[in-house]
Order: sequence, then C-alpha cells, then structure tokens
Amino acid sequence: MNGHLQADELLMIVAIACYVFGALALFAYFFSREAWLRNLGIPLAVVGCVAQFAQLGVRWELTGIWPLLNLYGSLSLFAAMSVAIFIGMAWRYNAWYAGGFVLALAGIALAYGVTWNEGTMPAVPSLQSYWAKVHVPIVVSSYAAFLVAFVFSVIYLIKYYAEARVAATVSTVELAGTGGMTMRVHGDTPALATAAANGNPLALWLQTLPSLAQLDVIVYRAVAIGLPLISIGIITGAAWAKEAWGAYWQWDPKETAALATWIVYLAYMHLHTRNNWRGLRTNWVSVIGFAVVIFTYLGVNIWISGLHSYKM
Amino acid sequence: MSRYLGSSTLNTYYSDFVRTFGNVLFAVSLFVVWGLLTLIGVIVDQGKDPGIYFDSYPAPIARAILRLRFDNIYHSPWYVGIIGLILLSLTVCTFKRVIPARMPPLRPVKIDKIPLHASLEVAGDERTVRERVEGFFRARGWQLRKREFDGTEWTFADKHNWARRGVLVAHIGFVIIAAGTTLYWARGFSGETAVVTGQSVEIPQTKAILHLDDFAYKITPVLTKGGMVYQPTDYVSHVTVTGNDGVPKAMTVRVNHPIDVDGTLYYQASYGFAMRFTITHDGKNVPALSDRVLLEGENFDVPGTRLTISYDRFVPTVDRASGMPSADPRVNDPAVILSVSNGGQQAGTAIVPLRSWVDLGGGWRLVPSRYLLYSGFQYRYDPGIPLVGIGALVLVAGLLISFYFLPARLYARVDPAPGGLWTVGLAATTVKGYDMFESQFQGLISEFSSEYAVKAP
Ligand code: HEM
Repeated sequence: MNGHLQADELLMIVAIACYVFGALALFAYFFSREAWLRNLGIPLAVVGCVAQFAQLGVRWELTGIWPLLNLYGSLSLFAAMSVAIFIGMAWRYNAWYAGGFVLALAGIALAYGVTWNEGTMPAVPSLQSYWAKVHVPIVVSSYAAFLVAFVFSVIYLIKYYAEARVAATVSTVELAGTGGMTMRVHGDTPALATAAANGNPLALWLQTLPSLAQLDVIVYRAVAIGLPLISIGIITGAAWAKEAWGAYWQWDPKETAALATWIVYLAYMHLHTRNNWRGLRTNWVSVIGFAVVIFTYLGVNIWISGLHSYKM
Repeated sequence: MSRYLGSSTLNTYYSDFVRTFGNVLFAVSLFVVWGLLTLIGVIVDQGKDPGIYFDSYPAPIARAILRLRFDNIYHSPWYVGIIGLILLSLTVCTFKRVIPARMPPLRPVKIDKIPLHASLEVAGDERTVRERVEGFFRARGWQLRKREFDGTEWTFADKHNWARRGVLVAHIGFVIIAAGTTLYWARGFSGETAVVTGQSVEIPQTKAILHLDDFAYKITPVLTKGGMVYQPTDYVSHVTVTGNDGVPKAMTVRVNHPIDVDGTLYYQASYGFAMRFTITHDGKNVPALSDRVLLEGENFDVPGTRLTISYDRFVPTVDRASGMPSADPRVNDPAVILSVSNGGQQAGTAIVPLRSWVDLGGGWRLVPSRYLLYSGFQYRYDPGIPLVGIGALVLVAGLLISFYFLPARLYARVDPAPGGLWTVGLAATTVKGYDMFESQFQGLISEFSSEYAVKAP
C-alpha cells in the first residue's frame, strides 16, 4: 500500500519537474530558436503529460475512487489535458515555440491543485454517478483547449503589438518599394519584412514566429476544440443534474458560469466570421474568454456556493 | 399622400429592423448582454429574502438589486427579453445573412481580386486543358459544376458543400432548445414535499400519494489531514406510491436514482428529523399538542398564553462537555434547539436533550419525546425534456459540422495565352475567409503546376 502511494507521489514529482524544466527549455526556444532546446522541451512535455495520466490512473486504482471529484484531481486533469492538446496542436502546426507558456500554466495549475489534496474521501451521494466519469473530463478538457487558445492569442497579441512598434521604425519611402508583397495572405507585413531586412533585432525575432494570420488560425482551431467540448460538457452536466437534482437546469452558479463561458466563445466564433474582427479583436475575446474560464473553474468554487458544492 | 408617406415610413422601419437584427455584430452585442446578465446571476445570490441583500450589500445596491429583479434574474423580463431578441435576430439573420452569405449562387468572379488566386500556363488544345483541370479536381474529391456566363465557360469546384448548412443546423438546435424550455414554462410544474416516516402526502398537481415507509442515510467518518470529516455516502427512501392506476407500488428513491410516476419524476432532495413533543399542563398530557409532529422550522402556540414554541433544529449529537452541538452528524446523543417567543418577541433559545423536560411557566411542560426521520422530495413534470435533448444534439452536430468541415469553392476559367498556351486562372473562397485555406490552396496549386503547368505562377 505504502509502496503504491509512493508511486503516486513519485509520478507527481516527475510531472512537475518535467513541466518546470520543459517550460524553461521551451521558453528559451521561444526566444532563441535553438533547435536543441526544442528537442529537449518536447520529450519533457510528453513525459510530464504521460506521468500525469499515469498518476491519475494509479490514484484511481489505489483508492477505488474516481479521482476527478475534487479540485486536486480536476486540476491535475486540466494540466494534463492542456499539455496533451498542446502537444497535438504543436505537432500539427509545428508550434512548439508556445510550449513554455503552456507548460508553465500547466505546472502552476498542477502545483495549485496539489494544495487542494485532502487525501482520499468517498464521494457524497450526488457525485456517485456514472455521469461524473463523462461530464467532468469533458468540461475540464474544454477548459484545457481554451487554455491553449489563450496561449496562442497571447503570442498573437505579442506579435501584433511588437510588429506595430517595429513598423513605426520603417519609413514610408522604404515601404513604397514593397508593393508586391501585400498579395500574400499569410506572411508578414511589408513593414516587418523591411525592418528585418534592415537588421532590426526585434523584427528578426518576430519573423521566426508564424504570421499573424497563421497564429489566428491556430487560435480558431483551439477554440473549435473547446466550444463543442464545453457544449457537450454543459449537456452532460444537465443530464446529470436531471438525474441528481430533478431539473436539468437549476441556475446553479457553476452551470450558469459555464453558460457564460459558452456565450463568450460563441461570440468569438461569430466575430471570427467577420473579416474586420478576425485577428486582433477576436484574439482579445479569446483572452477575455479564458479569464471567464478561470472564474468559472476556480472563482465560483472558491467564492460562491451552490449546488455544485455537493452538499446534497 | 399621407398614406403613401405612412407606408414608406413603415418600410424604413422595416428595413432598419432587418438591417439591425440581421447584423452579426448586433447579435454579438446581444450575446454580450446575455453573458453579463448570466454572470450577474452567478455573483448575486438568487431567490433570497430581501433582507439578505440588505445584509450583504450597501443599501443603495441592495435596493437596485431588488428593483432590477437581479435577485431572480433568470426569470426577469430582462433575461427572457434578451433571449427573445436573440431568437428574433437569429431568424432575421438566417434569411438575410446566413443563407445568402453561406450559400452563394454560382457566378463569375474577378480571379485576381480574390486573395487566394493563381494563374498557370498549360499547353494543349482547349478541350484537353479543360479536361485536365476538371480531372485534377475531380480526382481530389471536388464536386464540379460548369456554367456559361457571357460566352465564357466557368468551372466551379466545391469541397464540403453540404457543410455550408452547418450554421443552420447549429441555429436550429438552439431554437429547438428554446422551444423545449418554453414547453416546460407552459405545461410543466415542479414542487417539493417532505414526508415523515409512516405518513403519506398527496401531490397537489398529480394527486399521486406518496407514503414514506422508511428513510435511511449513511455517514462515513473519514480521517483527513484537516481532522475528522463526516461524509454522507448514501440517502435512501423506501416509499409506496399510488399513481393514476390506483395501485400502490413499493419503490426506492436514491440520490441520482429518481422514480417515475405517470411521467412525473421524484427525487431524493433532503432529509431531516421530525419531532413529537409531549406537552403537559399541570401534569396532564394535552393530546391536541402532543399528537402533532413538527418538522424543523415549524412552531406551535401554547393555549391560553402568548407563548410560541419553535422547533428550530435537530442536533444529532450534543457535545456533553460544552453542551453545544458537535460536528458529528450521526445520532448519538440527540437534542433539539427550541426558541420561545412571547407575544411575538423573541424570549430565548435553548438546546434541550431528548426526553428531558422544559418548564414553560404557568404549569406547562414540554418534553422532546421522540424523533422521526422525514424525507424531502422534489418532483417535476417537464414535457420539454425530449425537445431540449434533441435540440442539444442538433446544436452540437451543427457546431461540429461548422468547425470541422470547411466548405471551399474554387473558380476556374481557361483563357487563350500567347504561344498557343492556355492560362488557367484559379481562385478560392471559403466561408471563413482565406487564411484558413491558404496552405491547402498552395498545396493544390503546386501539385497542379508540377503535373501540368508550363510556367509556374
Ligand atoms: C445562440 C445560439 C447560436 C449558436 C449556437 C450559433 C452558432 C453558430 C455557428 C456554429 C456558426 C458558424 C461559425 C463558423 O463557421 O465559424 C454561426 C455562424 C453564424 N451565426 Fe450563429 N449562432 C447562434 C446565434 C446567432 C444569432 C442570434 C445570430 C443572428 C444574427 C447568428 C448569426 C450567424 C451568422 C450570420 C453566421 C454566419 C456568418 C457568416 O458566415 O458570415 N447566430 N453561428
């Protein structure tokens, strides 16, 4: 028994260590673009993520209790899913440069989750439902997708504002000679390209990032994972509530906050259909959306009591 | 003249209305208001007594909360109104924007005005060139259509054309959910009831009779880092229910396991301890009072006096050292908390162990003699549930279609070029702008040009 418990704790330490060192390596990669840093960061991200899922599995095996019913377990899954979704997207879009942000946030979520570890407790009656096994992972995964969207939005905004600053250094005379480049949809603005050609170090670094349009597509893809998931999460939550409390919708603070989150990302999707909103403004909506996610996820648990405090 | 003016004003109003409600940005503003109202309801406690708001907020804010109905926001005119406006906007949008924008007719375009475009030079006669273009796209799963405009033949190639309807599916899903919830408002009902062990209640709306045979709960003490925690792990009511058919049936209600009686669902919602008090006057039992069973929170008047006795709360275990309630929710050493008021004025509270007596003065004595468990049920009849369920599935299907299948349209025209060559002009549009499709477009162009082109773009 004790040996198992140690395995559980050991896996947690492995995960946190991987996230810390992985974040450092990938942050360094973000700034330097040294390939070896990326090659170091990727396995750390993968091992940390695997260790976390193993840890959750071991805990379940050990206690016989579904491990996601308290903030400790759910934050663990949140961290693991954020990294997993990130790995998938980074692999598809060659976007490892964002890994430092994701691993750092996952590490913080995980470390904060550990402070909520109350030991093992049997579930109160309202949580003894198979819906717990469906609903919780789906909702947590949607939050994880929104974390990934948030990170890419932050990178988008960094690039956007830094690019504006660089553009200010380029004279209109220089720009006049770059007319042909505007035909590209992707690709950087002529101002950035000109500044980079002039040897501006910030411009050269900004050019190592994908174009704003490409970053925006990555954010859209992440929201396109999160929005269906949170929709299904709300629906399975409603189905569960119908079984446990008698009504599929009770305006309980937690479910209502999830609805508010859903509305924000719905707004994101609608704004994203507009040419003049796609980009800077939709990325700000994604940042606001993630703030609402955090409020829904942690703020409601901590500040506001409701049915989801599971008192029966 | 005036009639003419009248109808033109009406037309202006109508077109203003259509322009506003058909605008996606207007819809998003409605979402923002909807989201904010929803969040207000998360932050401000809902459905509490007015006094509670004055206790928790400065008086002007508390007054505003009550006046604006923020204490019951989800049933306020604002909330219902905003959802109504969203549905209205959704309807207008469907006809004025979604259908025209997402399902455009086939028509020629100015190829080089579209950001995703290329022109390639291909050798051969016109027919072969056209066949190559068509064969190339057909082999890659594009659906081809040809049209002639002003003597020029255009080829249109569509990918995931069916998915253009994804938005409509998502929107219809939302409308179905709204219809389902409206059905509950119109025809459904819900309520709560508590039944003491051995007694029955009749549900007013359904006339069903619920008899509580027995209620049991299980509490598991768990030693955690923070000390002993008493975790409830089961609540179960054994009931005998008589529904429409008049036949009593034994059933079991647990949390997460409601029972269905003639379409109305009954849920385990709460439990508590009902009390029988033995009340004597000058040593003689007063049956009118002693036969009553009080639930927590109920009270009775002592005849001939101005006293009202209220049974506030049951205490499962009294801490003998302090005389105060202990944290242990299991019934070890029970007591009751009583409060007494005299002529409406609070006169005091006392914690009284079971089977010990209290002197009320004037020859009156009270003994909390016996406790009985009661079980609290919620019941609900909601004919809208199937619609809400279907709507939810349709909504999610619409989201998945919209987000994971990108309808794209290619426009191709073949024009003669110098040197006996042909220029193939290609442009692409999608329902989500151009960025989303650029790498695929470039992939297609480079494949095409490596197969057929004489001169790359
Ligand atoms: C409240 C529930 C609603 C849901 C679930 C919903 C869902 C969606 C989805 C999934 C899309 C596709 C987005 C994309 O492909 O990127 C979309 C597009 C759209 N929605 Fe909604 N929507 C809702 C309400 C509304 C309302 C109230 C309007 C009214 C203005 C509206 C107007 C539109 C329009 C015009 C588009 C397509 C925009 C374009 O192609 O230019 N939607 N909606």
